[in-house]
Amino acid sequence: MNKLPSYDVLKQLSQQAKTRHLASLFNENPDRFSGFHAKLPGLVLDYSKQNITKEEREALLNLAEEAKLSEWIEKLFKGEKVNHTEGRAAGHTALRDLQNPKPEVSKEWEKMEHLVDRIHTKQLRGFSGKAITDVVNIGVGGSDLGPLMVTHALKGVRSPLAPELHFVSTLDGKQLQRLLKTLSAETTLFIIASKSFTTIDTLSLAKTAREWIESHSPSKAGTLQHFIGVSTNTEMMNDWGLLPDHQLLFWDWVGGRFSLWSTIGLSIALQQGIEGFKSFLQGANEMDLHFRNTPFKDNTAVLLGLISVWNINFLDLAGQAILPYDSRLKYLASYLEQLVMESNGKHVNRAGENVNYRTCPILWGEVGPNAQHAFYQLMHQGTERVMADFILYAQAHGNTERHTFHHNLNIANCLAQSRALMIGQKGDDPHKDYPGGQVSNTLLFEKLDAKHLGMLIALYEHSVFVQSVIWDINPFDQWGVELGKKIALEILQKIEAKDASDLDSSTQGILQTIWDTQNEN
Amino acid sequence: MKINVFGNSVSAMVCAGCLAETGNHITLVGKRPNEIAEPGLVELLDSQLAAGRLTISDNFNPQAECHIMALGPEDCKNAKRIATDLAAAALKDSTLIVRSNFNIGLAKEIAQTAQLEFAVNPDFTADGHAIQRFTRPDRIIIGTNSEKVRQQIRQIFAPFNRNQDVIINMTPASAELTKYGTNAMLATRISLMNELASISEVIDADIEEVRLGLGADKRIGRAYLYPGTGFGGDHFTRDLERIKSMLPQAHQKGGHSLLQAVIDINENQKELFFRKLWQHFDCNLKGKTVAIWGLGYKPHTTSIESSASVALIKAFIHQGCNLQLHDPFALDTAKKWVHKHFSNVQQQQVSFHTEMYDASKQADALCVLTEYKAFWSPDLTLLKENMQTPIILDGRNLYNKYWIEDNHFSYYGVGR
Repeated sequence: MNKLPSYDVLKQLSQQAKTRHLASLFNENPDRFSGFHAKLPGLVLDYSKQNITKEEREALLNLAEEAKLSEWIEKLFKGEKVNHTEGRAAGHTALRDLQNPKPEVSKEWEKMEHLVDRIHTKQLRGFSGKAITDVVNIGVGGSDLGPLMVTHALKGVRSPLAPELHFVSTLDGKQLQRLLKTLSAETTLFIIASKSFTTIDTLSLAKTAREWIESHSPSKAGTLQHFIGVSTNTEMMNDWGLLPDHQLLFWDWVGGRFSLWSTIGLSIALQQGIEGFKSFLQGANEMDLHFRNTPFKDNTAVLLGLISVWNINFLDLAGQAILPYDSRLKYLASYLEQLVMESNGKHVNRAGENVNYRTCPILWGEVGPNAQHAFYQLMHQGTERVMADFILYAQAHGNTERHTFHHNLNIANCLAQSRALMIGQKGDDPHKDYPGGQVSNTLLFEKLDAKHLGMLIALYEHSVFVQSVIWDINPFDQWGVELGKKIALEILQKIEAKDASDLDSSTQGILQTIWDTQNEN
Repeated sequence: MKINVFGNSVSAMVCAGCLAETGNHITLVGKRPNEIAEPGLVELLDSQLAAGRLTISDNFNPQAECHIMALGPEDCKNAKRIATDLAAAALKDSTLIVRSNFNIGLAKEIAQTAQLEFAVNPDFTADGHAIQRFTRPDRIIIGTNSEKVRQQIRQIFAPFNRNQDVIINMTPASAELTKYGTNAMLATRISLMNELASISEVIDADIEEVRLGLGADKRIGRAYLYPGTGFGGDHFTRDLERIKSMLPQAHQKGGHSLLQAVIDINENQKELFFRKLWQHFDCNLKGKTVAIWGLGYKPHTTSIESSASVALIKAFIHQGCNLQLHDPFALDTAKKWVHKHFSNVQQQQVSFHTEMYDASKQADALCVLTEYKAFWSPDLTLLKENMQTPIILDGRNLYNKYWIEDNHFSYYGVGR
């Protein structure tokens, strides 16, 4: 990035930007909104509360051209192996191309529709012949966060035929054990969602679930009615014993954190019906077309990405808060933590050289009205300068007087916070002084439904991709998570052998204390 | 007395015919169907029309002293229209009697629209015995706050209330709840018996023996203690749903409503034989042929509404079974229903048989769901020859299970 001609221009411009107060931009240009927002049907991105001028924006757009962003977008969409460290394409946009679907994708849609139909018509049966009423998604990372976030957000608009959905992910097993106490084995179905079908987190939970079903089911055939597998690995699903009708496929060109668009989205389809799932894909597809075909200056995803680059690399901001003003988006921040930080948390460029500039910010977040009573203090008066994304919906989710009241209250709070962070307030008492100058985007969507949620997620995916192109890093691998998995297996062996030698003294000390505690009890 | 009776139902015609027979001048405001299955009703109507005491008309008699509503239970819209017409043209001191099984509270609303004093007089007659139950009732419930209406109904029903005074007076709301409560009580007994039947299977008891033991207790009595594959018919199910909707909000969802439990047990019971065969064939029914005798929710009806056969046909078709169906009355209804609810491919899985043993050919199991007399003593030798796998599932516990088993059939009953 820092070899591109516009980099130096931006560095130069940032000197002056760092000294000005955000609020001054509004004083200079009272109609700032009109020049600093972008939109497509269903979404307005207001970035007028960013510390950026037209000139600086121009230089950023030049930076994008110099980084060959257009070419990279085409490579992404055309299925080139943009994930070069794993020799794979990143085909998430193909998963939602409803007009020109790949044949293998259509085939799995059909299979998924058939399963959804069997469950919705109460014709998928457990060992006793009773219909399935509860579905537990066992998965971790991309096989958990996406479906969990989406199904939580869309619970209010679920199909009346939808089964009860549950999610378990943590390998300590407590989440699963607690859930099983509330369920009936006869009527519970498990989705084992694992890209590789080797993930120990998921497979260990699946085994516990299987043993639970086996303790009730009179036969193996009965037990197998209760499991559906979603994976790229047919062989492992067969080895596990999954029935052919109960296996859904996706492909190695689908990254885990992008897999909610694939058959990993089965739980979304179960909740929304196949039509609802398709409108989720449709929303993302509309964002794809916008991203691919809109000039950068009007392109919401490109602008969102470039603004991050401006903030991180030129204004030296290191934190990004995600602040949805809608409690239905409770899990959005967790979801984006994975999408953003697993993608761009890299320190070498595509050629494998160390980069000498900062890449991914630390992202965190919470439902806005709750966060107001928590970490907003830091944003208003702390020493950290951060950037924030406010997410707001124009339509209330009901039409009674109380709905309208709460909705207006919510809008007022969202707008008040972004304004207060921007403008600040001088106070004679230093404890009541608000420096302001904290930058933010506001993403205003028409309403929260499957389609607009698809659009929101695709927007962030593309924004992440834009940043990766500027930084010249591969956003589609995640080698960083491998080392811990490998060491965990080594330590597990040590624990089973009750032998902590050869380990560092910290690990030895902790293990020894654990063993002493266990022996005492 | 001059009386208008509104409705096209059997209830309306029986009421009109019987009241004409006792000397009243009745205008039946409705259409007489071309075919009437109710025994004796055609003769009754013909004789009263001939005697000139019964008129069938599209318009009501504005000189009538009393108006009886006997519309179908879903016909609320029509009832409101009639009420408006009555308000405009009926005698101001005439009265309104609601015999229709409307939503609770609707009778009062209609009377207010009609601006007439009213009573709720629930119809407890059962199809097949309607005239007998009308003329020899075991109770006549008069639900009214008006002394005038009470006396008038007493007079109208006097010919049917001679042997013993069976009139019970109460408020209109109590009368409505008595009607709904009757069906709720009977349904509850059945679901309780079905629940005991499932326990019976676990502990190796025979629910038929238990039933006899329970029925001998005078406090319990013998009626409606038969376990089975669930009750059906539109009346029972609709009444339960309606009465449940009157419960406080908190009881309607979740496990706090007895009536919801009654409904759930009943729905669950309808698939009992699917579960038995599913387990018998270790969760794989693909390609199995299942014969069903008895599709109607009770004998001698063409209705398959909410009956176990409907739930079973759906379940078996979805598992890829072939179905061979027989019913002496309801075969055509079943054909239409299958045609309407299944794809062409699925329809190929179903065949219809007017002869009961035809339906058993090459079958892997025979489900007997309705207690037609013809099913009580089947030719087991012929069945054995016909069937591929000798399994009999007895949904009404009609058979001596030892007799079936001695003939080398596998036997599944309900709770035994």
